Amino acid sequence: MSWLPEIEELHRRRALAEDCGGPEAVAKHHAQGKLTVRERIAALIDPGSFREVGKLAGKASYDAEGRLTAFEPAPYVMGIARIDGRPVAIGGEDYTIRAGTGFGSDRRKGGQGGFIEDLAYEYRMPLVNLIDGTGGTVNTARRKGYTVVPGYGQDGMERSVDLLGIVPVVSAVMGTTAGGPSMRAILSHWSIMVKGSGQIFAAGPPVVERAFGQRLHKDELGGTRVAVDTAGTIDNVAESEQDCFEQIRRFLSYMPQNVWELPPVVDSGDPVDRCEDALASIVPRSGRQAYNMKKLIGMIVDRGSFFEIQPTFGRAVITGFARMNGKVVGIVASNPMVGGIVDYKAARKQGHFTELCDMFNIPIILFADVPGLMVGVESESDAILREGVRARFIGFQVSVPVFSVLIRKCYGVAGGGFTDRGGLNFKIAWPSAEWGSLPVEGGVKAAYRREIESAPDPAAREKELEAELKRLASPFRTAEAFAVEDIIDPRETRPYLCQFIDALQGRLRSQLGPKFKSGVRP
Amino acid sequence: MARIEVKSEITGTVWQLKAKPGDKVESGDTLIVIESMIMEIPVITEDGGTVKEILVKEKDPVAEGQVVAIVEE
Repeated sequence: MSWLPEIEELHRRRALAEDCGGPEAVAKHHAQGKLTVRERIAALIDPGSFREVGKLAGKASYDAEGRLTAFEPAPYVMGIARIDGRPVAIGGEDYTIRAGTGFGSDRRKGGQGGFIEDLAYEYRMPLVNLIDGTGGTVNTARRKGYTVVPGYGQDGMERSVDLLGIVPVVSAVMGTTAGGPSMRAILSHWSIMVKGSGQIFAAGPPVVERAFGQRLHKDELGGTRVAVDTAGTIDNVAESEQDCFEQIRRFLSYMPQNVWELPPVVDSGDPVDRCEDALASIVPRSGRQAYNMKKLIGMIVDRGSFFEIQPTFGRAVITGFARMNGKVVGIVASNPMVGGIVDYKAARKQGHFTELCDMFNIPIILFADVPGLMVGVESESDAILREGVRARFIGFQVSVPVFSVLIRKCYGVAGGGFTDRGGLNFKIAWPSAEWGSLPVEGGVKAAYRREIESAPDPAAREKELEAELKRLASPFRTAEAFAVEDIIDPRETRPYLCQFIDALQGRLRSQLGPKFKSGVRP
Repeated sequence: MARIEVKSEITGTVWQLKAKPGDKVESGDTLIVIESMIMEIPVITEDGGTVKEILVKEKDPVAEGQVVAIVEE
């Protein structure tokens, strides 16, 4: 006697699970330009590397003899796989089965806590959430016979929170996402939304219409324009599902497996001593004029290695990962194309990115050209000071090495955010650099108001004072006082930084593990 | 023809008008320069086409997100 009948039954049940919500539901899903969760997992991971867990979970019906007559799979698919040869935990809602809502299992498979999150936690491996679910439903009350307090039983968000200090967590918003799945999306280190098919909100258009009588399309309420560009709730936009998978792979390539490891070193073949002549003239001599900071970054980091995080939100500051001689670094740079003036969005973005780098032991390079925090009643109403100081607070607490490359302006509270006062405070400047509490223009009027007003020719006196102070503002004078550690030929920036990035790897290895930070952020 | 609203990304005052109605423009062209915190910030069109309207004049105050020009594709 063998167990072949039962083994056959197992394979039959596995095949039933492959059908998702059935041919009709799958066709409807495809017609909306969306892949099924199974197709998504296959498209994202290394080919053939998916080992599914919990494939037999679902709702079964039996006849009087106990034979299976119908089976509806659990609306969540998960397991382990490999991405670029490294193991990841991966899961996603199956929208073709009751829009990916819960199904009342004994143990949750994933989505909000659940087995897959426990697995990522226990095995210390990255977690990828492919989110396409609408969250709770009032139908739960019918199923249970009573209503539940939010966060009941298997809510699982406490595990999602634990993961943020242990392993990289990625969330992709691939459909209309509200309630619990929205929360799951945001409890991540990096999130991405597929343009057109992804939306995220606290509650969808019907609830908004009921509350305010306002009729909105779901894209107007929570599409990429609102959720990514305006609110920064989600970090990056994908033009298609394929683009989404490519960006997830890219993001994970800069991440370690967990906080006890360093990110992988990837040889780019780009010579360390590459010195681009264009760097000597990229900064205009007029301090009023803009230039392309992303082009500048591209000439310094390993060729093609810059991956921007939150490119469309808080654009005054550019954040992203890159490699220097193969080692991962975090880049925080002013964006002169929007003046480099730090508004509340840019400050929030800078603080978040700094914390992300620190969590995963990624050293930070700051490229400064910052005239200050955004001034004015609008900016003050947006709490620019609180947001700006919070970003500084986070900066003071980092334990990774930080370099400041002072390209041009570095002024005031925002300028201080481009230095590492909590650590070595290592600042290298280009000859175009200038710094201070505030720029000479404007600052002169504030500091010498009485003297200017009482002069026979106030305008001429103001100009004289400006000229005198500008002479003192030469970066060479600051270097003489060793108040800036070095002034370098802009073309040397890459070899200079690469040598220090190579040298600091021992420091990074000395501080692996979770980081606990004290204090209340302002 | 698609009507595209070009917005200022920053609060400031209009420093220079670089384009006028009827001008043919390409993606990446500067239409207007805003002065904000002693910096010249270009307002760039992301789409090519013909400038239909310039909605501000020099020295006008401009708010972040304000529509300052219309381009027709």
